[in-house]
Amino acid sequence: MRRSLQACALWVAVIACAAANYGATPQECRALRKHGRRAEAQHCFESLRLSSDSYLRAEGYWGLGEFERANDEFRTAVSRSDQNAVYRVRWGRLLHERFNDTDAEGLFKEALQRDNKNAQAYLGLGLVSADGFDSKAIEYAAKALKLDPKLVEAHELMANLALEDSNTQKASEEADAALKLAPDVLDAMAVHAAIEVLAERPPDAWFNKIRQVNPYYGQAWAVVAHHLVLNYRYQDAIAYYRKAVEIDPQLWSARSQLGVNLMRGGEEQDARRQLEMCYDAGYRDAATVNTLRLLDSYKNFVTIKDSGTILKLNKNEAELLRPYLERQIQQDVADYQKKYKMTLPGPVQVEVYRDHEDFAVRAMGMPGLGALGVTFGEVVALDSPSAREPGSFNWASALRHELSHVFILTATSGRVPRWFTEGLAVHEQAAASPAWGNRLTPDVLAAVRDKKLLPVTQLDRGFVRPEYPTQVFVSYFQAGRICDYIESRWGKDKLLSMVSSFAHHKMTSEAIKENLGIAPQEFDQQFDAWLSSRIGKTASNLEEWRKRMMELAQLAKNHRYAEILKKGDEARQMYPEYVFGDSVYEYMAEADLATGDQRGAAAMLTQYEKMGGQSPALLKELASLQNKLGEAQEAAATLNELNFIYPIDEDLHHRLGDLRLALKDYEGAIREYGALVAMRPLDVASAQFDLARAYLAAGQRDKAQDHILASLESAPNYRPAQKLLLEIQDSEKGTH
Amino acid sequence: MTTRLALCLGLLILSAPFARATVYYVTIAGLGGELQYEQQFTALAHDLDKTFRSSDPDARVYTLIANNATRANLRETLGAISHEAKPEDDFVLTFIGHGTFDGMEYKFNLVGPDISGEELGKLCDRIPAKRQLIVNTSNASGGSIGMFERPGRAVIAATKSGTEKNATVFARYWVEALHNPDADTDKDGSESALEAFQYAQRKTAEYYEAQKRLATEHAVFEDTGKSEPVREASVNTGEGLLLSSFTIHRLGPAAKIANTPAKRALLAKKDELERRIDTLKYQKAAMSLEEYKQELTTTLVELARIQKELDK
Repeated sequence: MRRSLQACALWVAVIACAAANYGATPQECRALRKHGRRAEAQHCFESLRLSSDSYLRAEGYWGLGEFERANDEFRTAVSRSDQNAVYRVRWGRLLHERFNDTDAEGLFKEALQRDNKNAQAYLGLGLVSADGFDSKAIEYAAKALKLDPKLVEAHELMANLALEDSNTQKASEEADAALKLAPDVLDAMAVHAAIEVLAERPPDAWFNKIRQVNPYYGQAWAVVAHHLVLNYRYQDAIAYYRKAVEIDPQLWSARSQLGVNLMRGGEEQDARRQLEMCYDAGYRDAATVNTLRLLDSYKNFVTIKDSGTILKLNKNEAELLRPYLERQIQQDVADYQKKYKMTLPGPVQVEVYRDHEDFAVRAMGMPGLGALGVTFGEVVALDSPSAREPGSFNWASALRHELSHVFILTATSGRVPRWFTEGLAVHEQAAASPAWGNRLTPDVLAAVRDKKLLPVTQLDRGFVRPEYPTQVFVSYFQAGRICDYIESRWGKDKLLSMVSSFAHHKMTSEAIKENLGIAPQEFDQQFDAWLSSRIGKTASNLEEWRKRMMELAQLAKNHRYAEILKKGDEARQMYPEYVFGDSVYEYMAEADLATGDQRGAAAMLTQYEKMGGQSPALLKELASLQNKLGEAQEAAATLNELNFIYPIDEDLHHRLGDLRLALKDYEGAIREYGALVAMRPLDVASAQFDLARAYLAAGQRDKAQDHILASLESAPNYRPAQKLLLEIQDSEKGTH
Repeated sequence: MTTRLALCLGLLILSAPFARATVYYVTIAGLGGELQYEQQFTALAHDLDKTFRSSDPDARVYTLIANNATRANLRETLGAISHEAKPEDDFVLTFIGHGTFDGMEYKFNLVGPDISGEELGKLCDRIPAKRQLIVNTSNASGGSIGMFERPGRAVIAATKSGTEKNATVFARYWVEALHNPDADTDKDGSESALEAFQYAQRKTAEYYEAQKRLATEHAVFEDTGKSEPVREASVNTGEGLLLSSFTIHRLGPAAKIANTPAKRALLAKKDELERRIDTLKYQKAAMSLEEYKQELTTTLVELARIQKELDK
């Protein structure tokens, strides 16, 4: 290796001479830069800029950082030489570097139309796909290597992709293949360094080699940081990103990621500083711009701190959501502390985003769905219930999921496979309430039926690089059920001991053997059998169930209620977990109501609720029925569940407040009427009056009087409030 | 701000003589184009018809629906009212349906020929009622405001301009406001046009929020006859003054005003206390919280006792 590196150094010196004589090629200029010969590289690119050839000028401007001019020159080059695939590939690479993957992808595809064996074009497509954790990245890289087995960059890409998929062996092999072809390839060395860091071994040998080739190659440290982020080791990643920009202060991609990860960890001031440096230097990719925008929007947030929690809420809904969130966080944290026998080293920060786009910025660049919540160490970011359509998610369940990550990532210092922490988080959702569990969707059933579940040792791949559109969701489900299975067969302590194994840097296969006493393959077989015994029949009946549901939908459309009641139950039994749009529960409850059977409708909707049904309209209907049937406690419980789904509802708080008051749950009534007041309803007078009544019932006369005043301040002639005010005044006189 | 405005105006109304003027209600459900809209517009117009009739048995209620919703019938109805109504009467014209605006001209879609905003404005100008309210809930209705503006006439439009062209939901909540006691925010037993507007405006915004859709309608009003339409009432500009004095619907039986000297004295005292509360609220920022609370409590207790006497 040492001799090879010396040979390379000699070659670079030759290039430098060639460049000095104005005969350099773009490849030679780039090689100079890659070897840290900055001045020569600059000179080399300047020589290209003076060329009479527009393509070479494009490469020259690109190398000099004049991207707009490079773009213009590429356009000219391509228009003059329409059939030249290379120009399109290089132009695509420029656009990829400058954050325009859509047009880059188009150019790579155009290049392939002109030269369908262009390995560089496939490599370009691979690079674009890799940024989005698209499984096609591997396919494209493989295609590139098939066409050109000596394409070093494709091996490097493969190595990176394999490491992202936690396939260390493959990553190492691909990096070695690249190094065999060219001993000075820095990104392959960086992958080796990352492998060492992730395995808790010193990476120094690799970094020394990298320094020998290019002492200013900060990108190598950024590669390691990227893999640390994917393995939840955010603080370690920050340290590596810092090192990357220390070595190369103008490595804006690394500085931007440093900023993003600082923000993830709640270090907003430093994050802003780093991101503004990138922005001012013209590095304005989506992550940089959107994160800065999000930081600006924090002026619309309030931060509420107590000993164990930092809550960050949008000002417009902070008053409403705070009591519910605080209560839920306290419950979950207490539960996890007991369960995992640990306390968190610091307060947990929960950020709730009213605008889904803001939340998306927080989840950006992370693999997996990140659809509802995302956790960075002790910082949790969540969609607010107001960010989504009512009934589309249960915020309390999502919060419990993310808080499980906080504990598991802390317990293992981030050294835990993705499948396990996600699976345990899903398992914990269902442990809090069966209705909160990861729900059995038709997509999951289809995956089970079609035997698409992954072996446990490869399950991480299902999260990071899905091969079919619903695979991430299916993987959540599978991981959750694996944890359910482990608990049901080996006991809950085994889940804890697996946490401990991972904390001690054990791989999935080792953790399974060590704790469950069987090989992973055997585990997979037994899990399949267990899962099949539970949902195998439902999965195999999926098509038949679909047919029946179509028939029921038709009957419902034609109001043929007797037939719905006759046929509905069979469909329900075939797939009782289906609680999404147009469910059999909805049809049957409607049919029950149409035939005057309120009790039947209530029973049907109760089943719907138990199975995890989340439609606010149906749950409110259930609460109304329960109330009519004299089941006030049950009605209150139903409406309380709705608080976890969509609390942005004045009617909900009004009704639940009334029920709580009637049930003499004064604290609950105060909370609900308080929520109503916090929503700043149009009818302030009534809302304040109701809150006053609850305080009075709870014996808090002073607060009652305050809210009576608030009611009458809004509507001085509001008779019920006037009456209550006089009652309070008169009784005070009586007591004095 | 709007509450304060409503309060000030509430006092004005209370102080006004209780002579019963006739209210003329004209509601027209335009051409739906699709069955869904036909049904929706008709149902809403029927609803308003019923509400207006039950609210005030002496009101003159005209509702043009389905095949009757023609330009000729509307012209005839408004023509008849222009002969019948007196200056002290109130006139309320409500449009439910689709509208168009081409940048210059607003048209409301009817069975047969449409009617332009300009023509409608002229027809309304002939009606002698000095207090008029036009509620245009159609899409693009913002484009009609300029054609209706006139002193003494309040205009409500479901959209802020003629360029908001998607079908609106404002009408649904405007009608709902007239049924929902929550819309009566000052709890005086009747709903002003301002209260109904605020209710419908809020519910419309909530509708789009809940649907996670970009709002394609932004209701506005203009009631000074000389300004740009606004979304909120303001004491400073006087926008909302006429709307808040325009009782659009009585929710319950109107309180009987006793004419005995004793009750008159109580009413005068009540008026005075209400003014005092209003003044106090204006002074709130300049007072200590404790002082404000104390004075407010004293005044409210006194007001409550007087109301109790009046209700006997």
